Amino acid sequence: MMPDQSFADKAVMDFPRRDARDKVTGRTRFTVDIGGSEVLHAALLRSKQASARIIKLDVEPARKMPGVRAIATGSDVPGRYGIGIADYTLLARDVVRYHGEPIAAIAADTLEQARAALEAIVLELEPLPASLTMADSLAEDATLVHPDWQDYEVLLEGAARGGNIAWEATIERGDADAAFARDDVIIVEGFYEVGRQSHVPFEPRAAVASFEDGRYHIHASTQVPWTVRTVASRVLGVPESHVRVTVPAVGGGFGLKFDASIEPCAAVLARMAGRPVSIANSRREEQMTCLSRENAEIRIRSAVMSNGEIVGREATVLMDCGAYGGEQIFLSTMTTHTLGGNYRLGSVRLSSRAVYTNTPPNGAFRACNGVYNTFALERHTDEIADAIGMDRMEYRHRHVLGDQDISATGQVYDGDVLRPMLDRIETLRAKSGSRKERAGNRLYGEATTVGTWFIFVGPSAATVNLNHDGSATLVTTGVELGQGTMMQALPQIVAANLGISPEDVIVKSADTDAAGRDLGVGGGRTTVSIGAASEAACTVVRDKLLDVASEMLQTPPKDLVLAKRRIEIKGRPGSGTTIRQVLAEAESRSGPVSGSGSFTTPPFECMPGCTAGHFIDAIEPVFAVHNCELAIDPDTGKVDILAYRVVQDVGRALNPRAIHGQIQGGVVQGFGYALHEEITINESGAFDQTGFENYLLPLATDSIPVEFDLYEGAPAVGPFGTKGAGEIPILNVAAAIGCAVANATGKQVSSMPLTPPRIAALIDGLDPPLTHEHISPVWRKNTIDRK
Amino acid sequence: MTTRLIINGEERSLTCDPRTPLVDVLRNELRLTGTKNVCREGYCGACSVHVDDKPMSSCLLPVGTLEGRNIVTIEGISQGDKLDAIQQAFIDLDVVQCGMCFPGMVMTLRAFLRDTQSPSRDAVKFALVGNVCRCTGYERIIDAVMSVVGANEVTE
Amino acid sequence: MATTQNPKFHSPADLNQALSLLQDLGEPAFPVAGATWIMRAPARGQKIDGTFVDLSAIPGLSDVDLAEDKVSIGAMATQDVIAGALAGHADLAALMMATGYTANPAIRRAATIGGNICTVDFAASDIVPALLALDADVEIVSPGGISLMSMTDFLAARPTLSRASLVTKVVIPRRGQTSTHSRVTLRKAGDYPVANLSAAITVDADRVIRSVAVAVGAVEPVAKRWTGFEKALIGRKLEAGEFREIAGNYTGEFEGRDDTGAPGWYRIRLLPALADRAFRFLQKRTA
Repeated sequence: MMPDQSFADKAVMDFPRRDARDKVTGRTRFTVDIGGSEVLHAALLRSKQASARIIKLDVEPARKMPGVRAIATGSDVPGRYGIGIADYTLLARDVVRYHGEPIAAIAADTLEQARAALEAIVLELEPLPASLTMADSLAEDATLVHPDWQDYEVLLEGAARGGNIAWEATIERGDADAAFARDDVIIVEGFYEVGRQSHVPFEPRAAVASFEDGRYHIHASTQVPWTVRTVASRVLGVPESHVRVTVPAVGGGFGLKFDASIEPCAAVLARMAGRPVSIANSRREEQMTCLSRENAEIRIRSAVMSNGEIVGREATVLMDCGAYGGEQIFLSTMTTHTLGGNYRLGSVRLSSRAVYTNTPPNGAFRACNGVYNTFALERHTDEIADAIGMDRMEYRHRHVLGDQDISATGQVYDGDVLRPMLDRIETLRAKSGSRKERAGNRLYGEATTVGTWFIFVGPSAATVNLNHDGSATLVTTGVELGQGTMMQALPQIVAANLGISPEDVIVKSADTDAAGRDLGVGGGRTTVSIGAASEAACTVVRDKLLDVASEMLQTPPKDLVLAKRRIEIKGRPGSGTTIRQVLAEAESRSGPVSGSGSFTTPPFECMPGCTAGHFIDAIEPVFAVHNCELAIDPDTGKVDILAYRVVQDVGRALNPRAIHGQIQGGVVQGFGYALHEEITINESGAFDQTGFENYLLPLATDSIPVEFDLYEGAPAVGPFGTKGAGEIPILNVAAAIGCAVANATGKQVSSMPLTPPRIAALIDGLDPPLTHEHISPVWRKNTIDRK
Repeated sequence: MTTRLIINGEERSLTCDPRTPLVDVLRNELRLTGTKNVCREGYCGACSVHVDDKPMSSCLLPVGTLEGRNIVTIEGISQGDKLDAIQQAFIDLDVVQCGMCFPGMVMTLRAFLRDTQSPSRDAVKFALVGNVCRCTGYERIIDAVMSVVGANEVTE
Repeated sequence: MATTQNPKFHSPADLNQALSLLQDLGEPAFPVAGATWIMRAPARGQKIDGTFVDLSAIPGLSDVDLAEDKVSIGAMATQDVIAGALAGHADLAALMMATGYTANPAIRRAATIGGNICTVDFAASDIVPALLALDADVEIVSPGGISLMSMTDFLAARPTLSRASLVTKVVIPRRGQTSTHSRVTLRKAGDYPVANLSAAITVDADRVIRSVAVAVGAVEPVAKRWTGFEKALIGRKLEAGEFREIAGNYTGEFEGRDDTGAPGWYRIRLLPALADRAFRFLQKRTA
């Protein structure tokens, strides 16, 4: 869709958000605020073993406990669901596969009563062997996390899978064997590993469900109302049309809520009890079973000429799914687009394996595996630059992707975006100057890193109802998580298209009964996808109005313009009439005026045949360049960020102030990922980190103001040429910090997070260089033979 | 056992178990849901209320220890249309994202700005060490506080 | 005052009543000061259970009395109040810093000195090493009477003290020392320390160190005095420096504990730097 520049200027503004007042006065009703005696309260019985057979599960003693109204177990919700493979069950049956897996659900008058009743359930578990690490899962004699993997329903064909490999995505373009065999290349190799990161939205996963008029109504804190609908229907064994999902203001998501989770538990209990049921994870449950950003292990190897040209690149990425496939199955596709991104590649082969372990399942978290793939790629790139004796910035200037370069999958890139962005980061840095003198006696380091991520489009639908008072109601299943799109960008887009003010645009909260299907909020897609669908709906409404107005004003529609709540003749401001009057006339002729529109992924071409097991072969890119200056106290290993700069490819900045908020927030989440937030899993398969005391989020004293520059004008499919801005700010942070720490210490940085003890160990040279014994040096041995 | 406290100027008699954390009484019994229940460990500040004018974490306060005390929640901060200066600054400077941490931010900052003359940016950050935000990355919150500090300096 | 009694919660009006309750109710009853530890039981995987004997209604337990020769701090005094009362007194800086610059502002308004030092499982206390370095005494009241014991003795006796006994105050002698407290946290602020160190010294007219007390906390399950390091400093000129190097010779006195986020070797590694920081501060602050 070509951006309509005539409306573009009208859409750009720092429109304030209408939900701010209620949020600062504590009036907003999040899902967790529905409670008291209006609803029953549910609690979940969770496994305390990582791998076990359920020998006995007797809930009858719990049924007699005070206040108990309903109990559900796996046999009440038999359906399996998933992404790619239907391997997930809502409540465990026969076996449990991770510490914390839900086994039964109880609804009672109060939460205390529900929890007390859980203790009355008789549960006997017989421990089974557990595979707690990916190395364990890939061993010859590995315990199978899903022994029945072959019987699972395949939801997307074409992938290799087997044993503990839940999914494998591979890509091969060109002849990498020949590249590595050349005698005019240097071979550079690196191993990397990263830990998990928890999202910690302040509102945990929560839902209130009821059963009304023969249908389930789930009111949930979710990013994906349509996925909750689909999954609920599968597990409850009812047609999708029997499930309605509504979503109020959501207290943060970051991807945690991009999957269905405990919502259908509330639904089944509500039907059993005949009363509404609320469910919410406690902080401890949330922290210990959250769908984290996965831990991963990477081996990357490149054949590089003395001028830095990459003639061959190969890599293997192991992604820990945890006990069920989930989002990692989809994300295996994204290795190609990130680890295989940023730079021109002569030939490339990548294998990305989603591996089962008996640990809590993982999920999608803001820029997902792009964050660690970018870390590994940029560390590797610095090592290549050092190996050929080239300045690291110069290397990037020379070898980043540009106009007409091809991606790993053969997609042709449109426009030179990364190179001008590198110039802009240098300008930004020169503006504030180096902070080196602030390092004092500490170790000083700096790095600039490049990142490529993607705009996830996918289906969105919108309807615009023009109300007789001249206001417009926008009906979508978009959700407001805090990113502001529903409060700012969308009303701005609709208002600009209809010639009204954003204050006149009513945004209906998400309801699957009211709007068409939407992939969900996340991945920076809302502005682009829902925005485009909204624009399409506005076009229908506008055409209807202009049709009637042209008759009223005796002027052809092409000479009319909608602005300031009026329809006027172009070039003659003050002429014409009000939208309300046109609307009244239109209504009298054919009834109320409305329009619908939809949008989905426009096709991007790529080279056929090079990918296997990919959900998306080609996709609109979005770029980021980050610069970081830091100081390390060698006594403590603590890092002090002295400066942080961002140049972000936004296409068109519809609300610059809101984008600033996303950049500042995303970068600080990145600080947490790189420096403070660590998850370790003990021998019981449980997280050591259980809450805010030991999972260390960045505090106000850990943040600094991010200097930023919004890069506009790159080719983009979104309305007015916009790209989503919410996801990408975190993309390069681990890379920038990791490379700056390597620069400061002169040591090999191969892991995340870089907590103070880990940096101390790095400085002291305590650990041997990282290798992964279970990743074969022969690339093809890290793939499933498809022949 | 009955515990009597004053909540937002109104005397309330509570008959719940006196070991119940104040945050649960506020949210579940009194249905004052503006005070948020996030970490339940005293780290995040989202459950912050004023006890005798001092910001404290209501997740760690057994109601039985609060006999006779004056409790003000976020609902008691604004008077109808008139908001506290820090609330208005958060709105005017477009600081709010998901909103869950903001009631706690307001409770801490209202008292801090009342009690502190011309704090520096760093002093504000140290005052907010017990108020976590996951969405905003803090700096726009600090900007809003400094704008109120600046306005206070002008009027003095 | 509560009108009717709840069997799980009592607010005694005086010390005797509190002690009787603790004695009569036995096992399920325990004293509640600031409540910040017990209310976090669910975070430790436990329940908020048992019978609370709330001490907040007992008069006189939170007074802070600053005299020329000693400071007496009631067990129920909260961290913010203590820090405020001690501000500006260089001899008491260790305790002022340990109460005023730790945890977070809301916790400092709830957490009491008595609750802090009585929590046996709290390895990362800042107040305990500060009191050790300041040679504090602890007053304990029981049905048998009142006793005063040194902080060191209190820490040893702590796990087995009678159920029906209460710490009522902490008394710090004032001997013209200068003191300080330093700590390392994983973030900039807001955390429990990974390692901390309190130091108190007196010097003679030539600035030779005459007395020194150094206490280390968070490294081991219970804080203790760093005796080898102390002995090495006696008789040295304060300006001679080399604190880091000297301290480095005595880290063998400690066995670092492993905990989520920080392994034992890292805590030990911090000690020479902590000593260096503390003593450089004392160099500047000592008149």
